[in-house]
Order: sequence, then structure tokens, then C-alpha cells
Amino acid sequence: MKIKKLAKNIMFAVVASSFSAMVLAEATVEELAERLERMQREMNELRLQLENSATKEEIQVIKEDVATASEWLQPDTLIHMAGYADVGYTDSESSDGSFNVGTFSPIFHFQYRDLVMLESELEIEVGDDGETETSLEYLTIDWFINDYMVLVAGKFLSPIGQFRQNLHPSWINKLPSAPPGFGHDGAAPVSDVGFQFRGGFPMGNIRTNYAVYVSNGPELKAEFEDDEYELDGVEAEGFGADRDGEKVVGGRFGIIPFAGFEFGLSAASGKATVTEVEDGDSSLLSGEAARDYDVIGADFSWDFQAFNLRGEYVETEVGADTGSGAAASEGATWETWYTQGAYHLGQTKWELVARYTDFDSPHNSQDQQQWAIGANYLFTNNFIGKISYEFNDGQSGSDADLDRFLFQLAYGF
Amino acid sequence: MKKLIWKSIDNKRKNAILSVILAMVSQWTLALDYPEAGNFSNGSRVWAENCARCHNMRSPTDLRDDQWVTTVFHMRVRAGLTGQETRDILTFLQGSNAKIEKTKHEIDNPIAVSKPASVSGKNVYENSCVACHGVNGKGSFQGVPDFTDRDGRLTKKDSELLSNIINGFQTKGSLMPMPPRGGNSQLSDADLSATLKYIKASFAK
Repeated sequence: MKIKKLAKNIMFAVVASSFSAMVLAEATVEELAERLERMQREMNELRLQLENSATKEEIQVIKEDVATASEWLQPDTLIHMAGYADVGYTDSESSDGSFNVGTFSPIFHFQYRDLVMLESELEIEVGDDGETETSLEYLTIDWFINDYMVLVAGKFLSPIGQFRQNLHPSWINKLPSAPPGFGHDGAAPVSDVGFQFRGGFPMGNIRTNYAVYVSNGPELKAEFEDDEYELDGVEAEGFGADRDGEKVVGGRFGIIPFAGFEFGLSAASGKATVTEVEDGDSSLLSGEAARDYDVIGADFSWDFQAFNLRGEYVETEVGADTGSGAAASEGATWETWYTQGAYHLGQTKWELVARYTDFDSPHNSQDQQQWAIGANYLFTNNFIGKISYEFNDGQSGSDADLDRFLFQLAYGF
Repeated sequence: MKKLIWKSIDNKRKNAILSVILAMVSQWTLALDYPEAGNFSNGSRVWAENCARCHNMRSPTDLRDDQWVTTVFHMRVRAGLTGQETRDILTFLQGSNAKIEKTKHEIDNPIAVSKPASVSGKNVYENSCVACHGVNGKGSFQGVPDFTDRDGRLTKKDSELLSNIINGFQTKGSLMPMPPRGGNSQLSDADLSATLKYIKASFAK
């Protein structure tokens, strides 16, 4: 009996262990199969990713394509945006200091091969009242006629002198402000609308450059004071129409006798007419005669190692109107000049600047003598921090007499 | 003086004079027009001599090849450059705007040059280096080192200097980079080694 029971137990144990071994063995196989399936799935995914991925060679080709790509599909045509912007802080004797946005001036270039280029600069400013003002600084189509001549047609920066055409962008101007008389409504013309030929040519070892233009010319502004009219200012900012039908002819000739030194002479002549009355009713104007309009200028620039010295002189003369025009009056002369020295301190990023300007206008309240001193920090060659102080001497009580502290960050791109 | 010049000439005469001058200039310049490819060496010289007259020098590495095209043509109009000078400057800038990317291998393994140079170091310096580094080695504009400085750049080991010349270099915080091979990819390692020897012999104190 006992033997029978023992045999039963043994048989049960054997069957149980066999069954459990079989069950365990079956679980491992299933797990392995599952793992295999999972790996297969992952491998398929990886294969798919690999198929969609670029090889190193393909990436290199793409890099080269990007490096040489033009914005437009047609490689003969290029489009490029440059420009500059500045922000700052100004504190003058008569008012509390204010942060300000100077200008944002994007410049657009569209070029077809070496034949033609369209250039345009916008000037976007935030006024004291918070309003945004936008104007077209220039818009020209430049036809590269040959190696020595370019036709510049449209609204262009005045080629009289150097400041307006080459130095006014804030990342180039070494001080936060323009020299008195070289801004808007000053002695130097700002821009004009017409046709201009520009270029340069060598004369032996001497290099020269020139600009000759014919344009609509400026318009004149009069003011009514003490029961009589007198000239208030010359608006030489590129009028889109020639209301008096009188053209102005002018230009500049520059000579570079040796590297780093340039001397230029400028002149313009034509007629200009009073078209506006300052703070008055311009519709009262009638029968205004075209007056003589003449500009002369001279400029120089000298670079010697870390030192730069430059100067510029401009005189604008408007003749008298002795006819029967409502605003007939005597003529007037605006004259300004500046000299500026800048020194870059050794291998540092600091630059020191000093400028003296003397602006003489027919109105005592506009006359100004200015000493401006400044220090610039060149974060990069096109990102500059400027601090300056202006000692201004003008008619007592006028804006021209107020000293100013200016801080500016300028970025050229 | 102004009255003498301008007032004695009426507007019709001024326009006539202008037209004659333009016609003369046009014919003269058209006769001289002969497009040629840009010259690297002349481009580096014209670039160094002209750009700083108005503004701080921009690094060649600031812009891509196509961006330099429009920028240099814009400057042709502004600065009164000739067409040939424009092409020369463009050739220089497009040849010098490669990014400086030194690998660890290049840093750990300074250059050893055994081949002979094909041109003299003096010749290379005068054609490819002088525009930026100057005839006297003092540097033509800001951001370029003064080779005559006793404690300056030339106190570094030759292998490091040559590596910098070949691969390009920019001191941290400096405004201007040294383009690889001075921007002239035609120069061999041996040519640049000869140039370094010339620089050290001429300027090191």
C-alpha cells in the first residue's frame, strides 16, 4: 500500500516537474520570439530612417550648394539687403534726457550681372510724438556703362562734398550727430532727382573719381517777419517734380595723389524758386521769379596709420528776387565747414574723436559753432558704441546754444 | 571766384558745356574699356587703400561670395572705383572669405614643410600680404598685428605661425581675421613657409 502511495507521489512529482519545465521552456521561446519581432521592427524603422537620411557626401554637396546659392533661381540676378540702424540717448541743457530711436535704414540691392543695379535706401524714424516716419533716402538705377562710367538715375544722394554721399550712415559717422549745416535744411544739399554720371579713372599713379549731374534742383522756403519776406532756407532734398522748370547742374571731382589721401572740389549751379512760406500761407505766393542758386565745396580726407583727419567746406548762395513776386527779397548765403580728427588707440577697440564745426546762415538763431568730442568702442567694425559731448555756441536762448550729451549704438549690416 | 566762374555763364551754355564734357568722357572711356578678370594681389591692395577712407574695414569673412558681388558694385558707385578695381577687389574678397575652421588635428599637429617653395617669400609678401600688413610690417589698419613689436606676434613658435597662416587665424576679440593662406589658395605650404621666413628676417626684432 505504502509502495503504491510512494509510486503515486513520485509519478505526480515527475509529471509536475515535466509540465513545469515544459511551461517554462515554452515561455522563453515566446519571449525570444517577441524580442526578435521587436528587433525586426526596430531594424525596419532604422532602415527607413537610413533611407531618408543624407550621407556625409550628400551633406557636403548641400553645404556647397548653400554656400554658392543665390536668393533667386536665376544666378545672373542677385538680391541683397544691407543698411544700418542706430538707437541712443540724448540729454541737452534745456530738457530732460530721452532715449531715442535714431533711424532704421534698410538698403536694397538688386543686380543683374555687371550691367545694372537697383539701389534703394529707406529711412524709417520714430518722431518725438511716437509717430513712425518713413522716407525714401535714395532710389537709383545704376547702369554700368563701361569700366570708367556709371549712369546713376533717380533720386540720389548729393555728390557735393563727402558727408552726405559717403559718411552720414551712423555706423560710418564717427560721432552720433551730423556736423551743423550738413543735415536737413543746412548749407549742404542732401539729395536730388535727376541723372548723374559717376566713375573713376587713373592718371598715371594718381587715382581720380568724378560725379556730374543734372537735376530738378532745390526749392526755396521764405518766411514773413517784420512785415516783409526773407529767405528762410533751401530745401535740397530731392523733389520729384521741377515746379519752376529750372534745372541744376553740378558735380564733384576727387583726386587721390597717394594712398590714404583724397582731395575733392564740388560745385553746382542753376535756378531755384520760393515755393513755401514757413509757418505761413503758401497759397499767397504768386509770380515768384527763379533765383540764382550756386553751391561750391571742398573736402579732404587723410589716413595715416591709426589717425584719420578730414574736413569739408560747403557754401550755398541764393540770389535776390527783385521782381514782382509776393516773396521777392534779398538773396542769402549759407556756409559751413568742419574738421574732424579720429585716433584709434593701439590694438584696443577704443577710438577717440574730436570735431569742430562752424555753421553760418542768414539767421542768427541758426548760426552755430560746435566742438564735439567723443569716444567710440568698436564691438566689431560695424557695431559701434559712441559717447560724445557737444559744446555748442549759438544765439543765446536758441537751440543752437545748448550743449548736449549723446550716447548712440550704431550697427551696419 | 564763384561769380567769375558761374555768373559769366548762362544756363544754356552750362548745359552745352556739360553735354560736350559728357560726350568727350564717354568716348574716351568707351575706347579704353577692356574687361579683364580680377587680380587677387591688386584687389587686396585696392581694398586696403580705399575702403578705410570712409569707413572701418569689414572682414572678408563677413559676407558670402554673392553678397560681396552686390556690396562691391554698390561701393564701385560710392567710391568712384573703376570696373577693373571692382573686379580685383571682388576676386580678393571672394578668395578670402573662407571660414576659419581649425580641427583638433591641425592644432595638435603643427605644419612641417619639406617641399621647396615655387616663389620667394619676398615675392609672396609683396603681392599677397603687403596690403594688410604694410611695407614696414606694422599693419596697414586696425586689427592687423605689428610684426616689429618685440613682444608681438612673431614671438610665437614658427610651427604655430605657419599653421595660422595656412589655416587662417583670428585672435579672440580682434576686429580682423587672417584669411587661410592670406586669401590666396594658389600658394603652397612651402611658399607660405618661405614667406614666414622672409617676414621674420625682415621685421622680427
